[in-house]
Amino acid sequence: MSAQHQYQMSETEEALALGTGPLPAGPYYRDDYFALECEAIFKRTWLNIGHGCELPEPGSFIVRQFDFANASILITRDNDGNLGAFHNVCTHRGTQLTQEACGKRASFTCPYHGWTFNSNGDLRGAPDLERFYVEKKELGLNRVSVAVCAGLIFVNLDPSPRQSLREYLGVLGEQLETQPVASATTYSEYVYEIDGNWKITYDNFQENYHLRFIHARSGGGGAVGPENQFGYPEKYGFHGEHRTQKIWTNPAPQLSATQKLAFGKLVPALMQRGMMNAAHARDYYALFPNFFLIGTPTQHFTHYVMPISARKSRGVIRIYWVGDDMNASERFGREFSMAMARDVHAEDRAVIEAGQRGLNSGALKHIHLQSQEVLLRHLMHHVDAKVKAYQAELAAGGAQQ
Amino acid sequence: MNATERLLPADFAALAPFVEFWAADTAAARAHCRDISDEAGRAAFYNAAVDLVPQALAWLDARPLNGWDESEQRLMKLVLSFAHVALAVELHREEEPQHARNRPYMRITRAPADCER
Ligand code: FES
Ligand SMILES: [Fe+2]
Repeated sequence: MSAQHQYQMSETEEALALGTGPLPAGPYYRDDYFALECEAIFKRTWLNIGHGCELPEPGSFIVRQFDFANASILITRDNDGNLGAFHNVCTHRGTQLTQEACGKRASFTCPYHGWTFNSNGDLRGAPDLERFYVEKKELGLNRVSVAVCAGLIFVNLDPSPRQSLREYLGVLGEQLETQPVASATTYSEYVYEIDGNWKITYDNFQENYHLRFIHARSGGGGAVGPENQFGYPEKYGFHGEHRTQKIWTNPAPQLSATQKLAFGKLVPALMQRGMMNAAHARDYYALFPNFFLIGTPTQHFTHYVMPISARKSRGVIRIYWVGDDMNASERFGREFSMAMARDVHAEDRAVIEAGQRGLNSGALKHIHLQSQEVLLRHLMHHVDAKVKAYQAELAAGGAQQ
Repeated sequence: MNATERLLPADFAALAPFVEFWAADTAAARAHCRDISDEAGRAAFYNAAVDLVPQALAWLDARPLNGWDESEQRLMKLVLSFAHVALAVELHREEEPQHARNRPYMRITRAPADCER
């Protein structure tokens, strides 16, 4: 076997069970398929939207937009320290309670007629409440589900989810809990909007086939190498709807002077914090439907892709850090780590949009995937299974709109 | 003490000409400096700073973050901008102008250095 084929590993049974045929292209751009995905998946699946460190104390709140559901969700920390998640919608006549993206307050007063809600969602009071024909206790904010794993906040728009977050994540939840993100106190963040279907966008980040072409310079010589010219991972893992890869790293990476300097400055601080011996440092997690986390302590990022429409999405990338900057060196290392990741992701965004423009024409009826694009196949397999199950529910009259 | 010396700690006076353009307050602003810089400007800053950055970090590391005077805060901002410009000079080289077109779509919304300024 020649050296460059070292990573053409034999395919596992799990991978082959997904089939080898081409995938229909329609689900990657069609409005009707997207509408089904919103109902079948996004409105009833646990979605990461942030981290507990954003709500450091009672009264802290954040607001997140769920464009695919036209929803604005208010996440609060109440006086007991518990998180709550509610539609940011006054229960009188629907006015959005707050226009702020985050902040701290003990209660929320609707600007329209002054109804006031506690951070646990209860209606505290309303002017002239006696004139209404309804009990105050029935007028709390409309709840959605919220749960935390490894410090990461997940929201499920379904108030009665079929699975708890822990059931949903399975063994991967336990692994996430051992990672730096679980004790993160701050983060670097960059966000993007993209003219790209959420799967087309997400899929780019679950194959390495493109690395040597798209990231020839920005990749920094660590992701590909002479014995693995495409930088294919060492291993894929399938965990129900979720998937993982064990990333390969070049044992003799060609790093620039400043890459060496910056990561060299970051590592001592990470070691001092006990963050450098991470067992999952080369594990890249892809949680269904739209979330990534990489274990690497020097660039410990999460990335989610929120759908906006069939051909538009929003991405949020965060590099999580434990503790405030210890010194100038750590501050420099963190700034460089973010800037370098952003350079790479800027290249991805550009090429994803080009891919979407091509698909939108309908010129391709099918998409061919190679064995090292198996994670894309796995995602589509589970998306389509959910869509079909939802259609069956509809046909049986069971699903609610 | 002249104005140039007050701009930065004395050991780093050679970087004074770069303060006005490169010593920006936030990570997003520093990324923007890189975006709007030209090749000559990047090269001049990089060449002047590359050997001084390790010394500047050592200087700043010797003092608590919240105890920096204004000249030291400025030095930190310059060093942070160096993180951005080094990517251009060392990695993207002549492709930097092309790469710069794609970067503004990745909007930096937070960095630890912004929160604890
Ligand atoms: S709509 Fe909120 S108080 Fe009337
Ligand atoms: Fe990429």
